[in-house]
Amino acid sequence: MRRTFIVAGRVVRQLIRNPRLLVLSVAAPLVIVYFLKIFFDTLPPTFDVARYAVPVAAFVVHFLAFLLCAIALVQERTMGTMERMFINGFRRTEIIAGYVLGFLGLATFQAVAGLAEAIWLFELDYDGETLAMLFVVVWLLAIASVMLGIFISTFARHEGQVFPFVPLIILPSVFLSGLLVDVDELPNWADWLGHVFPLFWANDVIQDLIGSGWNFDDIGSSLAVLAGYSVILLLLASRTLREVE
Amino acid sequence: MDAIEVSGLIKRYGKFEALRGVDLSVGRGEVFGLVGPNGAGKTTLIKGLVGALRPSGGEVRVTGLNPLEDRAELRRRIGYMPQGPALYDDLSARANIAFFGAAHGTEGLRKRVDEVLSFTELTGRAGDPVHTFSGGMKRRVSLACALVHRPEVIFLDEPTAAVDPQLRSRFWKTFRELAKDGTTLFISTHLMDEAVLCDRIAVLRKGGIIATDTPASIIEKGETHLVVERGESQEKETIGGHPEDLAAALRPYGLQEDVTAVDVQTDTLEAVVLSLIEKEEVG
Repeated sequence: MRRTFIVAGRVVRQLIRNPRLLVLSVAAPLVIVYFLKIFFDTLPPTFDVARYAVPVAAFVVHFLAFLLCAIALVQERTMGTMERMFINGFRRTEIIAGYVLGFLGLATFQAVAGLAEAIWLFELDYDGETLAMLFVVVWLLAIASVMLGIFISTFARHEGQVFPFVPLIILPSVFLSGLLVDVDELPNWADWLGHVFPLFWANDVIQDLIGSGWNFDDIGSSLAVLAGYSVILLLLASRTLREVE
Repeated sequence: MDAIEVSGLIKRYGKFEALRGVDLSVGRGEVFGLVGPNGAGKTTLIKGLVGALRPSGGEVRVTGLNPLEDRAELRRRIGYMPQGPALYDDLSARANIAFFGAAHGTEGLRKRVDEVLSFTELTGRAGDPVHTFSGGMKRRVSLACALVHRPEVIFLDEPTAAVDPQLRSRFWKTFRELAKDGTTLFISTHLMDEAVLCDRIAVLRKGGIIATDTPASIIEKGETHLVVERGESQEKETIGGHPEDLAAALRPYGLQEDVTAVDVQTDTLEAVVLSLIEKEEVG
């Protein structure tokens, strides 16, 4: 446990000392959500902005948290620091948990900032409880994204090998998780495939929350699946991250 | 008990055999050099000793412990300096050293970090990010990271590759100081002027050890040549290494007026190691 905090502290220090990474992770979601606003403003007034604003903001957080975490961990491998950590006694669970803790602050900030900006720009009017739950969903999605980044990084030997996973994992989730079209309109097999992506469950909860009236019974199971994603990906990553060649 | 004991170590990657039954032992407080050309298996052997790879066969003991089974205890006792810098570029030298020191729960970490910074002559730049450092300074930070937890055995993979002669000499002064205090050093190198500074060396070729001895004893396996010049022409003959052999070889030339120069050439460590490697290849 002590070493987990040591890794987390080092990850946070690295994030703070890397202005490019910090700007990319903090400013990029805000800028992208603003572009979304400009794009939506060009659509006819009958277009249901609320249906898309928060889910797309959640996707932006999902995408960036995944990418940043995956690249940071792959860099550990290419720089030789991953091997050095293992030889210095860090265990893989300690490294993974340290990364999750280290990126937690960043994911939280991205979730709060992305959501707050979307609600402000699109003039969305939700009560306090709904806002709090929206934050919880985006936050859980951000954690799952960090875990997904860690898991995927175990299959990449260098940064370039992370990028093929973007069209393989991130883009299909845009089309199949109900972000753009209702999943009921998709073929059956595509609907099922959509269930594989964490964005599907996040969007499911968000649609319930922004619809007319919601209760915990409606969103509980999807929230649990979203949280379960992080646990499953943590277990998978701790099996695929190799300590010994 | 020796600091390092290796018997029949094998490592295969598919059909390729990177280590082919390596046997060696290194005593405590010894500076042991592993020499060999690029691709001989030096890094693979070091990784096998520090527990970064799973051997395909054979046995390894470092301070009596198995690198994979006794991983937690062993990693407190060993230090490792890899071939590349393996540092966090955005962090300072101090933060890098403290990070690896903290992993071992090093007592009085702050004071100890100051000590290794001073030992590696980095105190003046301790707070600067590593990406502002020269290659040589990064090597020193990397060495400090390997030393911070006071290991009993230190593995250094080509520690002075691509560093200037002045820094190389400083590194060797440091290695000798550590050995004097009882630390065992296992150093891989392909530089023979460096290998000669070790207490003992092992010559590795294509994953197998072809000689293990002190550098002086290995040099003795070389040849001594008598070179006699007669104006433009030169005669070269191989003679024994003893003084009486030289006298016997010189006798026929003693009174010949056309002999303009006589030189005695002894094989360097590099020449002996190369000839050992060539003999293996022919054999």
